[in-house]
Amino acid sequence: MTSEPSHSAEFTTFMRAYQDMVFSTAARLTGSDAPAQDIAQEAFLKAYENFTQLRTSPTAGGWLKTVTTNLALNHLTRYRKRWRFFSELKAEETEEDPAGLGVDPPVPDALLDHLSSEQRCAVVDEALRRLPEHQRVVLVLYHFEEFSYQQIAARLHVSLAKVKTDIRRARAALLPMLMSAGVAP
Amino acid sequence: MKDHPSETELERLLDRTLRALPLRRAPPTLESRVLGELERRAAQPWWRRSFSHWPLFARLGFVVTAAALAGLALLGGSWPGTALQSLQVAGPASTWLQPAAAITGAAGSVAASLVNSIPQTWIDLGLGAAVVLYATLFGLGAAAYRMLYLQPQSGREFQ
Repeated sequence: MTSEPSHSAEFTTFMRAYQDMVFSTAARLTGSDAPAQDIAQEAFLKAYENFTQLRTSPTAGGWLKTVTTNLALNHLTRYRKRWRFFSELKAEETEEDPAGLGVDPPVPDALLDHLSSEQRCAVVDEALRRLPEHQRVVLVLYHFEEFSYQQIAARLHVSLAKVKTDIRRARAALLPMLMSAGVAP
Repeated sequence: MKDHPSETELERLLDRTLRALPLRRAPPTLESRVLGELERRAAQPWWRRSFSHWPLFARLGFVVTAAALAGLALLGGSWPGTALQSLQVAGPASTWLQPAAAITGAAGSVAASLVNSIPQTWIDLGLGAAVVLYATLFGLGAAAYRMLYLQPQSGREFQ
């Protein structure tokens, strides 16, 4: 591990440049700030171990984003396994069409346009938190992290059909939440 | 506003809306947390860090010592007992070492005599069987993992 003082100052600058991106990725995938902070910390500790290469790399941001995404997905996998051990039956029951598919909500031409960027951010993050985990994760990977359907299926070890179903349900569930928040006062 | 939009329209609308969002601001404590953890790790002695962070001499020494111990344990079952006895001779007498040396030496002698009494063919056959069993079980485990856990159609992971 590198630990020269000048190295540390440079690393602090590096961290300030990327900490919002790392935290956003972790928070949107996990739907919670507390684990997102732990994940962001772990991502930067890994970055420090590889800082000799990263400090001059033009793809350092992409590297950090990949590491953060992997850490967040690993966190969710561990947490889900622990949780399902105790509540398998309940999980099975609640998986039936939580988004209430079958009714196509009308789609506006724009969403949240009258809100400030900070307000939009808060509204979307709250809506993401309210989505079931398996819907939130695929939605975030597709729309924020720019994964393709195939990449999501491969990364999560699920079928392509399941990814498409989950993301369709996630969109259908998200739209009314954003529309209700986006109504101009 | 359209009454029956296609999924493509919804996808485009959400894509536009979500990608236009600014990044969330990281909590101000994140930087101090990371730097604090780095300081804590830097303050640790090398032997408390992971093996990859040990100094080169320590890593080499560990590997050589471990290999030597393993070789000695395989070649002479009574080596630990002998070593303890020689320590007693060399250093000041410590009473607690005597029973330990006696027990270890006896156990080593029994193990050595057992190994020596087994015909070499049996040992070779046993090792061969162990290798075959290991490979078989490894293959079965990998196949079961792929079929039961990584089956894409079942979608077990993110259901």
